Amino acid sequence: MVDNENEHERKHEKRHEEQSPENIKEILGVVSSEIPSLIKNILASVFSEEAGRNMGKAAAAYYKEMKEGGLPEQVAVRLTEDYMRTFSSIGDMLRSGSKRESFGKAGEQIGEEIERKIRQKMDEKSREKEEEDDEED
Amino acid sequence: MSAVSVVTALIKESPYLTRMSFELFYMYLTLGNRVRKTRKAFEKQLLLAGMSKDDAERLSTCFEDLKNGITGMLKQGIIRRQ
Repeated sequence: MVDNENEHERKHEKRHEEQSPENIKEILGVVSSEIPSLIKNILASVFSEEAGRNMGKAAAAYYKEMKEGGLPEQVAVRLTEDYMRTFSSIGDMLRSGSKRESFGKAGEQIGEEIERKIRQKMDEKSREKEEEDDEED
Repeated sequence: MSAVSVVTALIKESPYLTRMSFELFYMYLTLGNRVRKTRKAFEKQLLLAGMSKDDAERLSTCFEDLKNGITGMLKQGIIRRQ
């Protein structure tokens, strides 16, 4: 019982330390410097002259192969367009991935399950607390 | 931890947060320019391979689509949080 109380106090102190202004200051400092650089790097990997040149080289090689293979100009262009569409579909995927609706029924079921579990835990906690109060009385 | 200390910490950190907001806004503003440069470099390679200018320009619109996809995703994320 005493051990439990000590552990509880230790946890409380630890949580208090984690939420101290110094720690918040540290976290905000790291977040404010890291997030922009992270986004900058992600964007630079897709939108830069070098990335465009490399992508262009890949598409050009694909187009050249088609033409050398004897395909008509329009067909080669259309196939290269399809090839490039796989690249732009990443954007659509990101957009649809960020929508909750895209998870469909499975997503709803997971949400309901999480809600149910949380409610169950809350009921258990409140019941325990009531029992403790009764014991104290 | 009291609410006062949290507010104090936030005020102390406001220069960092302001800088971060400005950096993100600057990134958003310069994104169009970045995309334009990327498209130019991409089109140049296709022109070297013998493709017509119109076709190269049409193919390079995929970068615009990707940009719209990424910014749309970020906007949706911000709107949902609000």
